[in-house]
Amino acid sequence: MDILLQLAISGAIVGMIYAVIAFGYQLTFATSGTLNFGQGEALMLGALVGLSVFNAGISYWWVLPIASVFGALQGFFVEWVGVRPAMKIKSEFGWIMSTIALAIIFKNVAENIWGRDDLRFPSPLSDTPITFGDAYIDPMGLAVIGGAVVIMLAVEAFNRFTILGKAVVATANDRDAAGLMGINTRWVIALSYALSSLTAAFAGVLIAPVTLTGARMGASLGLKAFAVAIIGGLSSGFGAVIGGLILGIAEKVTGFYLSTGYTDVPGLLLLLLVLIIRPAGLLGKTTIKKV
Amino acid sequence: MKIRFQLAAAAVIAALSASPSHAADTIKIGVDGPFTGGSSSMGVSMRDGVLLAIKEINAKGGVLGRKLEPVLRDDEAKNERGVQIAQELIEREKVVATVGYINTGVALASQRFFQEAKIPVINNVATGTAITQQFADQPTRFVFRNSARDAIQAPMIASEAIDKRGFKKVAILADTTNYGKLGKDDLVKALAAKGITPVAIEQFNIGDVDMTAQLLRAKSAQAEAILTYGIGPELAQIANGMAKINWKKPMIGSWTLSMANFIETADKNSEGARMPQTFIQEPNTQRRKAFIDAYVKEYKPKNGIMPSPVSAAQGYDSIFLLAAAITQAKSTDGDKIREALENLNAKVDGVVTTYDHPFSAADHDAITDNIPVMGEVKGGRVVYAYQADAEKGSDIRLKKKK
Repeated sequence: MDILLQLAISGAIVGMIYAVIAFGYQLTFATSGTLNFGQGEALMLGALVGLSVFNAGISYWWVLPIASVFGALQGFFVEWVGVRPAMKIKSEFGWIMSTIALAIIFKNVAENIWGRDDLRFPSPLSDTPITFGDAYIDPMGLAVIGGAVVIMLAVEAFNRFTILGKAVVATANDRDAAGLMGINTRWVIALSYALSSLTAAFAGVLIAPVTLTGARMGASLGLKAFAVAIIGGLSSGFGAVIGGLILGIAEKVTGFYLSTGYTDVPGLLLLLLVLIIRPAGLLGKTTIKKV
Repeated sequence: MKIRFQLAAAAVIAALSASPSHAADTIKIGVDGPFTGGSSSMGVSMRDGVLLAIKEINAKGGVLGRKLEPVLRDDEAKNERGVQIAQELIEREKVVATVGYINTGVALASQRFFQEAKIPVINNVATGTAITQQFADQPTRFVFRNSARDAIQAPMIASEAIDKRGFKKVAILADTTNYGKLGKDDLVKALAAKGITPVAIEQFNIGDVDMTAQLLRAKSAQAEAILTYGIGPELAQIANGMAKINWKKPMIGSWTLSMANFIETADKNSEGARMPQTFIQEPNTQRRKAFIDAYVKEYKPKNGIMPSPVSAAQGYDSIFLLAAAITQAKSTDGDKIREALENLNAKVDGVVTTYDHPFSAADHDAITDNIPVMGEVKGGRVVYAYQADAEKGSDIRLKKKK
């Protein structure tokens, strides 16, 4: 039993990381129907900028907001350079190419600034594990889970309770109608990109002490989170959490009970299954596209 | 077609007329290793050791009255980069010989080009047993090595775990690269020779950041020690992973447990890890003291600790072996250098050992199983694991004669 609990805990930590990034995919998809394929790179940049700020002697808990602000600016930039031009000419696929291109550029820039080696991000918390039933959880892992929940709740609260946030929701519901009501939908889309990169950068600083920090840390996380967004449904924030937990725990359980050589398989099988049975995702709303 | 022919002819003429005069200037030596990425602490240390040796030799007038010129290339630990570099070093740079190779996979993919071009390669870090056996079916072989091959390291690891520490149940954790897979096979073989079957054999990928599943399998199989075959960053994840699930068992593994990025990233979780080492950063002979002092002065490593002392020492020695062979061959012809390496008359005074006929036509490995010692991570650096070895550290361990 303690084994299963231990697998669930470490699966949940990884899963919540996937969930936060998947949540970022959803934010931009809701307002504009586009995705930032550089979401993993936004996380990587957040972590590396965070590391530099941290090394300059700033306390870890201040690094989080600073990296988040950087993430927001980076999100604005991606929207401005990569997405807006494609939307303007109503290109169906232009934004896919441009966000992927930007992701590659960010990775190369990061390699040149911070080098290609993985760097250590010192943990701000004690690394003595906490007993949790028969299993153990390290304090930073707990912080990852907590932080992921907090940032997702914060973005949800922003959307629900502020006037700007309501504009985001209105744009998500019906972009044309929102535009007619006097909402500057272009600005709202930019804002959603900023929010999505902000959550990614926040997550980057959060997981850096658990993993290692480096220019290549984003790629595989971004891809797995994309699978999570599909599994959970692109229109459901709760779906991202469920999808993240399912994938994270499935990886660990397969690793233990089947073979550690097959950890990536169950997630992808699940992805295929969801696409066949519920294409909108486990908790996603099925939308009818009128032609 | 005609133009292309003329171009080719022009190139041939240019090459013919340029090469003798150019070659008279310097002796070009290819230096290939991963200078960036997860293996870089080995690659950079090897490179620095090589450069230090070249500087010393050139200061004394070089070889055959000519200076040695290193041609440095970063293979990023990628097989395909290694292949490109091998071709470039042979075709464009026209190197006389090449030293380097940190990653077994890269070495196996790249050195066939040198074998075909009849240009000697001295592997100074890569340890895959297959490396010096790759062209066993050919009459002359151009691949040499002065690192401790896995077939030596694996029995040392097994003997440390089973004979010296008395463990009965051990788990193997190895990565999915050529290095990890071949090393794991050697380890299984070495354990079988002692009548031990590992209770768990687990794999992990380069870049994996969570080892919980692997460690829990080892734990539920009641392993008493973890035997590893991987490189720094992932080894650190194993050490940190054990702390996370509060299950701390001794780590014994291949020499990569001495890598700086393992010790730094795992920090106090790296304490006590043991691994075979051909060289410990301990100035116990004059030769070694001079080498360590020069290295620290020239490259100023953090806290005065070399990122990978073994790589630096073997890199350094590989150049002296090569220089001795070129001197004896009185030529930069690849085949003559190979012959000289296989029958080296001069004793080469290196920092790992003193090389007395290190190679023969049949044996291209300079290191035998009596040369490496067990090292242990202590206080952020690698020291002798056994006091007896430390006390006899100044005795040079010579290659066993058959």
